[in-house]
Amino acid sequence: MTAAAAVVLGGVFWPLMIVAVAVLLPAAAAGVLPTLLRYSILFSLPLAVSALVVNLFFYPGGQTVLFQLGPITATAEGFAFAVEILARIAALSGAITLFYLTTKPSELVLDLERRGVPPRLAFVVNASVQTVPAMAERAQTIVDAQRARGLDTQGGLFNRLRGIVPIVGPVMLGSIAEVEERSMVLEARAFTRPGRRSLLWSPPDDGVQRLARWGLAAGLLVVIGARAVGAL
Amino acid sequence: MTGTAIECHGLVFDYPGGVRALDGVDLVIRAGERVAIVGQNGSGKTTLVRHFNGLLRPTRGDVIVGGHDTRQTRIAQLAAQVALAFQDPDRQIFAGSVEAEVSFGPRNLGLRGSDLQQAVTSALESVGLSGERRTNPYDLGYSRRKLLTIASVLAMRTRAIVFDEPTTGQDARGVRTLRAIVDRLAAEGRTVICVSHDLRFVAESFERVVVMRQGRIILDASPDVVFAESNEDALRSTNLQPPYAARVGAQLGLGSTYTDRALVHALQLHTRS
Amino acid sequence: MLTLESVAYRYAGASRTSLRDIDLSVADAEVVGVVGASESGKTTLALVASGLAPRSIGGQLDGRLLIDGEDMSGRPMHELAARVGICFQNPFTQLSQVADTVFEEVAFGALNLGVDRLDVVRRTSEALDGLGIGDLAARDPRRLSGGQVQLVALAGLLAMRPRHLVLDEPTAQLDPEGKQLVGDALAGLAAAGTGLLITEHDTDLLARLCSRVVALDSGGITLSGTPAAVLADPRLDELGVEPPARIRLQRAVDAAGLKIELPA
Repeated sequence: MTAAAAVVLGGVFWPLMIVAVAVLLPAAAAGVLPTLLRYSILFSLPLAVSALVVNLFFYPGGQTVLFQLGPITATAEGFAFAVEILARIAALSGAITLFYLTTKPSELVLDLERRGVPPRLAFVVNASVQTVPAMAERAQTIVDAQRARGLDTQGGLFNRLRGIVPIVGPVMLGSIAEVEERSMVLEARAFTRPGRRSLLWSPPDDGVQRLARWGLAAGLLVVIGARAVGAL
Repeated sequence: MTGTAIECHGLVFDYPGGVRALDGVDLVIRAGERVAIVGQNGSGKTTLVRHFNGLLRPTRGDVIVGGHDTRQTRIAQLAAQVALAFQDPDRQIFAGSVEAEVSFGPRNLGLRGSDLQQAVTSALESVGLSGERRTNPYDLGYSRRKLLTIASVLAMRTRAIVFDEPTTGQDARGVRTLRAIVDRLAAEGRTVICVSHDLRFVAESFERVVVMRQGRIILDASPDVVFAESNEDALRSTNLQPPYAARVGAQLGLGSTYTDRALVHALQLHTRS
Repeated sequence: MLTLESVAYRYAGASRTSLRDIDLSVADAEVVGVVGASESGKTTLALVASGLAPRSIGGQLDGRLLIDGEDMSGRPMHELAARVGICFQNPFTQLSQVADTVFEEVAFGALNLGVDRLDVVRRTSEALDGLGIGDLAARDPRRLSGGQVQLVALAGLLAMRPRHLVLDEPTAQLDPEGKQLVGDALAGLAAAGTGLLITEHDTDLLARLCSRVVALDSGGITLSGTPAAVLADPRLDELGVEPPARIRLQRAVDAAGLKIELPA
């Protein structure tokens, strides 16, 4: 919702306000501010850089010249527009990163399941997320095993391209073979039983969280409304 | 054929994150030696052997393989001298046929044509998979897939080979095949290094046993010494127990009987006296 | 009582049968061991006995699987899961990946069965204590050793309260420490009255636990009897099975012409 609001709002000031209130403050409260800044900047850097460059130099209707770089010109209007875009990117990437950093997959999934999402779907979401670090570790072992058989991963580009199949291959094949075994294990644990599963516990959902959720939703509606009537 | 010699001097290795896996290892493996490396989980055995082909580089100290300092040599080059067979076959197999899988290693090392064919054929024969050239590796059971990865490494014809837990998941026939492979490699003069927790396999196939604990070598001698009664405490400190034959021999007061054959021999001497 | 009656099984798309003519039963509190070379049908037997073959993996099953006299044909997998648990050789693929603690991992199966929450907690605690891993309850299952994970998997099965457990080479991928842990745990289970069907290469383990052993060769049962009889049978060698250490050693001693009896 933060991201949506940022996009809807025009100008620079409001998106930045949103970033401050809905992203940075909660991040600081959760103690993940430095990590958040690091990740979201890294995450959005390519997009931000290209947005800046494109708009700075190629903004249609740009008149006020800032400086010249050979045949291309940087304009003030372009710069202003670029800054607006950057603000939105900041809000978007900040919001996404905050979500990723503060949500424990298992809690999210458990909550979803409690609210009626089918357990199998919830499980798939959860297990997929949890599998990522395991897959990364697996991929590393595979790279090592193939390097031990003489696969040259340090040579030129062509060499590295040749290395794709011997690395991606076992990652995929192994994962598929593993999936077969895992699905048998799940069935043996009655996962396919129709009807609801019992749940051990529900993630805490206190007043503050509920307030924040409703507040965000309401805020978004207000913003859309205000934009529609041209007030913002 | 002379095997490759491997030397470690004051080898210290820290994993990123600070865990010290090797705490000052000094080890000299001569060309053509058959060495087994044993110890509990976390003693550093796997970390150590990954230094032998440059997959890991020392944090301090050095590792010299066949005269080359691993810190200054590319892995691909070291792999031409020291082939390392990993424990989990499913983290290595990628080809659609046994033949293609085994060809990968030697091909990377530059073998072509009849040399390549010969290397592959001979490797498949050693592990008993000659009849499965066109079979998809995943149609083989786990123990034969493991033998496939061994064949893949044998085909590289390197002067030193390292096996990481080759007997895990193998049946009796598989273990016998492995024993025959180790014997043949040794007969060819190649250096054979094996990380294993199967101490009977170790006692019967290797001439030198290096015992590790918490990143250090605590014992380094021939199997009859390592598995003698006097070293039982040292072994226990790294969660190991001498092979059954040795324990029976100790119980009967026959001295060090580290293999079945040694026990029978000791009994024969005993009855004659 | 778990019974396989005239069972034959062929994997989906396979040209030959993997199991033929299998008649085998496991009574409550009985421990039956199955030996055989790799690819002799041990895993297939385990899959059929647990109901996964054909329910989860397809294929063609002839003959019947009976539990306490009831024919299980046509019953869905989740019903079987409550009556027969199965433990595989790779400890790590048995983790659900959705549990942050051992406790939740062990509760997983029981929760799937829709058992009441408080009951689940009780069963889980009992399972953990029964296997001696109560102190691991708060740990992350993914950070444990192979042997420990195997115990967690076993506890997860026990919390479902099956009357029978099928174990397919449970110690094959474990180091000696892990083998010891699991071996002791299985001995405890057998003593407590769960019927166990164990396939294994480790004949020392089977000699210790089993009241009966059968040998498989190319999908059929060739030997059946007490561990003392079957594991000492010279035909095991052709079947690719290594006898227990003591028997092996005794044979070597006998072959050398020495009339010495080795201690037990």
